[in-house]
Amino acid sequence: MQMHAAHFPFLSTILLICVSGLALVLVLPKNSNAAVKWVSAACSAATLALSVFLFAAYDRAAGGMQFVERLDWIPSMGISYLNGIDGFAAPMLLLTGIVFFTGVVSMWELDFRVKEFFALFILLVIGVYGMFMALDLFFIFVWFDVSLLPMYLLIVIWGSSAREYGAMKLTLYLLFGSALILPGIIYLAAVSGLETFSLPALVENASFSGFEQKTAFLLFYIGFGILAGVWPFHSWSPTGHVAAPTAVSMLHAGVLMKIGAFGILRVGMFLCPEGWMYWSPMMAVLAVIGIVYGVMVGLRQTDLKFVIGYSSVSHMGIVGLGFATMTVDGINGAVFQMFAHGVMTALFFSAVGHIYDRTHTREIGELGGLSAVMPAASSYFVIAALAGIGVPCLASFWAELLVFIAAFRVYPALAMISVGVLVVNALFMLRVVRNTCFGPLNPRWAHLKDMSFAMGMPRAVLAAAIVGFGLMPFLMYDLIQTASVPLIHALGPAVGLAGPESVETLFTELMSVWP
Amino acid sequence: MTDWILFIPELYTLAAGGVFFFFCLGRGRPGRDYAAAMMLSAAGLVLTVCTAGFEGLVFEGVYQVDLYSQVFKALIYSGFFLTVCLCADLSGVDKARHSEFYLLLCLSTLAMMLLASSVHLLTIYISLEISSYSLYVLVYFRRGYPKGAAPAFQYFVFGAASSAVMLFGFALVYGAFGTAHMAELMGQVPARINEPVVFTGFVLSLSGFFFKLAVFPFHLWAPDAYEAAPHQVSAYIATASKVAAIAILVRMIALTGGQSDRVAWVLIFVSVASMTAGNLAAMAQKDIKRLLAFSSVAHAGYVMIGILSANAMGYTGAIFYGLSLMVMKFTCFMVVVKAADGGRNIKTDALAGLHQRAPVLALALLLALFGLAGIPPTIGFTAKLLVFKAAMEQGLLWLVIIAMLNVVISLYYYLGVLKAAYFTAPASQPRAIAVSLPFRLLALAMIVFMVAGGLYPRYMTALAGAMTAGLLP
Repeated sequence: MQMHAAHFPFLSTILLICVSGLALVLVLPKNSNAAVKWVSAACSAATLALSVFLFAAYDRAAGGMQFVERLDWIPSMGISYLNGIDGFAAPMLLLTGIVFFTGVVSMWELDFRVKEFFALFILLVIGVYGMFMALDLFFIFVWFDVSLLPMYLLIVIWGSSAREYGAMKLTLYLLFGSALILPGIIYLAAVSGLETFSLPALVENASFSGFEQKTAFLLFYIGFGILAGVWPFHSWSPTGHVAAPTAVSMLHAGVLMKIGAFGILRVGMFLCPEGWMYWSPMMAVLAVIGIVYGVMVGLRQTDLKFVIGYSSVSHMGIVGLGFATMTVDGINGAVFQMFAHGVMTALFFSAVGHIYDRTHTREIGELGGLSAVMPAASSYFVIAALAGIGVPCLASFWAELLVFIAAFRVYPALAMISVGVLVVNALFMLRVVRNTCFGPLNPRWAHLKDMSFAMGMPRAVLAAAIVGFGLMPFLMYDLIQTASVPLIHALGPAVGLAGPESVETLFTELMSVWP
Repeated sequence: MTDWILFIPELYTLAAGGVFFFFCLGRGRPGRDYAAAMMLSAAGLVLTVCTAGFEGLVFEGVYQVDLYSQVFKALIYSGFFLTVCLCADLSGVDKARHSEFYLLLCLSTLAMMLLASSVHLLTIYISLEISSYSLYVLVYFRRGYPKGAAPAFQYFVFGAASSAVMLFGFALVYGAFGTAHMAELMGQVPARINEPVVFTGFVLSLSGFFFKLAVFPFHLWAPDAYEAAPHQVSAYIATASKVAAIAILVRMIALTGGQSDRVAWVLIFVSVASMTAGNLAAMAQKDIKRLLAFSSVAHAGYVMIGILSANAMGYTGAIFYGLSLMVMKFTCFMVVVKAADGGRNIKTDALAGLHQRAPVLALALLLALFGLAGIPPTIGFTAKLLVFKAAMEQGLLWLVIIAMLNVVISLYYYLGVLKAAYFTAPASQPRAIAVSLPFRLLALAMIVFMVAGGLYPRYMTALAGAMTAGLLP
């Protein structure tokens, strides 16, 4: 793994901005709600700007780990503070920045225990940022848990329907996941005999036996997979999303579930390629069950948030399927899907949250014709729905296309089933859109006002990201490529699977005709 | 010629006990007693910290002063000092008895300090007994407790029974080796640990320490004693007493040199049984002190993981675990003492609205509970990481997984307490909790310590690691 040291600790700066934002929010007097919101917004805008910068400044020709910073932390245990980003992490940082910023702005109307909300929200984001940039297993785990814990309070205090149940279920499920990850991490660190927790060092120098890799990979796959909404460990996700307040749903479905997938990728696949190969058929089957299950159960839902919650399960199934193919296309698609789904779900929850705040219902049957009174709000909802279906020229189209290109080669039957089910899903989502935004207007909503410009701004940012990366997928694709090609190349001798020729992908050819 | 200098902290503590003994003779004056206790314990803490560098053997080699014992003495003294910090409102104890209360605390602390340095089976036995006897009496000090003397008596009976078993074990060990000096045993035990008489003697002799640490199956006294005792005494049992138990248990297990699978299996059994029994029972508790008692039982199980690993990392982990338990448990009791009116017992619901009544305490409680659940970035996580790493070095992956699953179980009831503090709306308008400035600083210090121990434990782990130097073959 190539490591390029940073000239300036950009990554730590992101964390530092968040930490200072958190500290500032904490010391502000109790009733200064406006100040708290402005501080949070400033903090999120600054980190968004930095993540956009990092996304652009990442040297795609050089590849490898860039902006690497390192500090000895607990030398006696071989723990160091080691950060860096590659082609997988840079999009995730961008995603976090976008969702953080838009989440804060989406919660502008909050007036109940404001200070505590934003403090916990920023704390959660610190964990997320940290997790995406950390390269030391100790810190990966620490950030992982930091990003989970505020969730309980966020849902239980500010949530809606069945919040106590939803919060407790979510927390216990996710902590059960971390209960498997921690043994996995310590296990690998102990059997490597290297006295280090540094991921690059372990990837380079440790030689784990097949048994060790299979055991550890399974622990990571289930542990992180719970957070990624892998079937059958997904059941916390719809209830949790429904119970959570808007910004928390956005962050949770948008970013936190990606932490799970990212953990499988970063820890599981990097460290245990043989385990990855051994379990990949199982991953593929579970992923496809997730896709089918998410769609089928989603069909029966009448609550908009449940609809999105179950569609998240199926979309994360696509990520899992991409990982399971063990090909460059599959990985590219999966990471692209993580980004696309993150932005899309955030927009979805943000739009639904806006509608719910006005109408106090999320029942599809009670809504209808909203586009007549709330054209802006409905159009964001429609964009999110279209992205969810995977309409061409939106970001998720490219992501799903890549995954299915790979999946048709490796698991043709499973790919066939998934594509078939997604067509059903498309029909269903269009019906949801029709029943909420179009058709006769329910007279109860006739008095509602449309979204103000300020409230529309975060949604516009999200929609712009969906459309922008839909029109220019190569911006994302080229970046992810810099990380996925070496990952698959490194597999070559180890698993005898992917030779250089399989790296020449259909998608690259497709993209070469782009003007 | 005994080097009395090495014995100064103990002599000081004895003298402090003497002061309270004279106070006992006169009429009770709670204000004076409290002020004297604060000053004496603070000075004693400083003294123990200053003497941390002492080294040597006293009393014909039965009393060893080294980094290990001195740091543990400082820890025990911190537990004593922190407990006294909670005594500003000692309404759970009759006014006339405050001097006796502090006297017994002093004596118990003294005995635990002796325990940390004891390297002869007889000294160990005697110091263990002195420390326990003070606690038996202290548990009974609760003013107007409905169950009367029953919990204290139960505590006493359990204690007496387990020390009888321990004495029998000591006798067997002495019979087998003809010596009770640990230094001499250290060379001989590992080779002969699998002989029936040595194995039996060794395992039986652990029972007294298991009782002290409240390890399954010697844990049954804990919930009743915690519930019945004045809050400050429960806090003391949960902090200083546990640290002392860890100190001596680590020394004892180090005797085997980690050579015996049979001993390891016994310890694995009590470890798994403790954490499982403790966590499952804690889920059903409404009274906070009972909940904390069962959580202590569970934590004893986690500590045992470090101890049974019997390697450098494991001992380091166990020592660090003792430190972290002291901080986290103390923080919980600090909140209990403040939230309970007039020293009454409180249920979990009584914490409702704590985040408004005393935000600092609520935050401290949050970190302490997350720490107890072993969630990063708190000190409790570092402690668990160390003991789990040690177990993993011995190839005990499954044990670590069982322990982590237990952590998830424990999270359920910790979150229940947290929910009460942060979410449940109080039934009536509760009084705001008056938190004085020194107390606020104490709470802040605990918060900082818990986070620092999670985020940057470098120097603490290094110290704990240095302490284990004399334990390994």
